[in-house]
Order: sequence, then C-alpha cells, then structure tokens
Amino acid sequence: MHELSIASAVVASVLEFLDKHGAQKVLTVRLWVGELSHIEAEQLRFCYMAITQETAMEDSVLEIEHIRAVVQCPCCSYKGRPKYWEDALAAAPIPTLECPQCRRAVEVVEGNDCVIRTIQFIA
Amino acid sequence: MIQTIEASPDEIYDIELEHSLLEANAKIAKANRSLLDEHGVTAIDVMGAIGSGKTTLIGRLVGRLKHRFGVAVFNGDATTSTDADLIADQNVPVVQIATVNGCHLDANLIGKALRKIDLANLQLIFIENIGNLICPAEFPLGSKARVVVVSVTEGQYMVRKHPHMFLGADLVVVNKVDLAGAMEVSVEGLAADVHRLKPDIKVIPTSCKSGIGLEDLTTALLGV
Repeated sequence: MHELSIASAVVASVLEFLDKHGAQKVLTVRLWVGELSHIEAEQLRFCYMAITQETAMEDSVLEIEHIRAVVQCPCCSYKGRPKYWEDALAAAPIPTLECPQCRRAVEVVEGNDCVIRTIQFIA
Repeated sequence: MIQTIEASPDEIYDIELEHSLLEANAKIAKANRSLLDEHGVTAIDVMGAIGSGKTTLIGRLVGRLKHRFGVAVFNGDATTSTDADLIADQNVPVVQIATVNGCHLDANLIGKALRKIDLANLQLIFIENIGNLICPAEFPLGSKARVVVVSVTEGQYMVRKHPHMFLGADLVVVNKVDLAGAMEVSVEGLAADVHRLKPDIKVIPTSCKSGIGLEDLTTALLGV
C-alpha cells in the first residue's frame, strides 16, 4: 500500500503550495505517473479521496496521466519503447529491460517517475 | 439558507508545478550514499517476500564475512525484533527498524539508522528490507546494490508476478534450491524469467541448508 505514501506526498506538497500562495480551494491536481513506476491509479485515487476530506483539497479531482516508458540501449544506441513480455500470462504485457534490437540490457530514460504536473485552484 | 459562491474564470488559476513525488526519497538516498562512500562503507539492500529466507541468508553471509570486515545489519520489520535478535547473536552491530504499519523501508529511516551506529569501523552493511515484493522497489535507500531473494517455495511464477521488483535489482538470489525437487519448481525456469526481464543480471542459486551458492554470492557481493 505505498499508494498511501504517494497520496500523502501529493497532499502535503499541494497544501504547502496553497499555504504559500494564499489559495483557498483546489479544484484539480494533475499527476504524471510513469509506466515503470509501481503506482496503481485506482488505489491512489481512493487514498487521495480519503485523506483530502476536510482540507482545502476536499472534492478536488485527481487526474492521472500515464507516461509511457522510454528506454535507451548503451550497446546499440536503440532509443524508444521497451520490449514487452507478451506471453507472461499477466493481465497486461510486462515491460522489460531487454533491448528490442540487440537483446542486451537497456537503461530507463522516461517512465520511472511520479510528478505533480499542475494544480488548478481558486485564489 | 446556504449561500453558494462560484469562482469566476478569472479567479481560477492553473499552475504548472512539475514537482516529483519520488524525489524527496531519492535525495535522502543520495545523501545516505555520500555518507557511506565517505566512510568507505558498502550497503547492500536485501529485498524479497516474507519467508523467502532473507534473514537466514544475511546471517550466513555475516558469519562468513565478519572476521574479515566490519559488518553491520539493519533489520526492517513491521513489528517484531525476531530477525534483529537472530543476527545480534553473531555479535555484530544491529539496528532494528520497526516500520509499524509501513510496507517498505525508505531512505529517511536508513538515514536515521546510519546515525545510530559508528561507521568508522565498518566496511559492509546489510539492509534487510520489509518482506514485500512490491513497495520497496519504489524507494531506493542509498545502497550500492539491491539484491532480490526469491525462493523456490514461492512457486514457479514468482518472478513474472512481481516484475517491477526484478527490474530494479542488481543481483537475484534463487534461494532454498535444496527444496526445488519437493516443490517441483525449476530453478532454471526462475532464472530464465529473471533474464527475460533483465538480461545480463547475475542470478545465483543458493541453499542455506546445504551451503550451495553461498561462496558465489559472497564473492559477487564483495565485487559490487
């Protein structure tokens, strides 16, 4: 349940921002959640809703935009989408760190992070 | 009668923040790493499911290394000190990190633990993470290597069920291989799954019962 830690970090950051800018009420918080971060959107929304009650963020909307992973290969210089493990019997194909071109290990360029992108609020 | 006031569009603001939520932990992890590097200490983060054998494995490694190096252990556990007590029997410094309801260790907790021990006489710290194959992956601690322990008793598909954990690993241990036959689990199959996710990563089969692989693991860890 690290979604609760993430939701707490969102709320702490936004409330700090409100405090600094003398804002009254938050309408929307937009997050970028990387494909390779291990954050489950539904659980995050639930935690967010639970801990924003009776704060200036109550009833605000948490919009989550998924950021696709980008990897780069130090061996063959491939840069782009990761290779997916299609037949892993998983609910969705699993992104891997195998280079789609030369099969060596790639490095992650994008898709690891979780970022508060924008805040919409009433001053 | 409730009065309602609606904000007009010119009173609504949209601000770009670009504030990373994982950065706070990452920053402390970096500070931990600098402190460790300064003292010439290598920290190894050991992660794995409950019952994968992390404590026993760390205990065996400590037994092999404590006469050659200054070794300490941080034991993360939600409630009890049973794991810390087991390691403390070996007379090495142990810090018990009780996360209470927390499902992972984070860099801040490790920073606190680092302030509890004297780093001057240490070369190696094993950090036993909370038994959990999901959450710890998101929170780097400042260690030099992250080791994931998966045991054959967890079944054939443990690796593909928790891919994120293995994507972030530097070394994978397949533990309890003495039980592979009884469990009808293929050690090679588990290793193949790891390599499918992350080619080039070292996978070491071990058994704390028979001692298989412990020499290889010790050598690999000293080389990180």
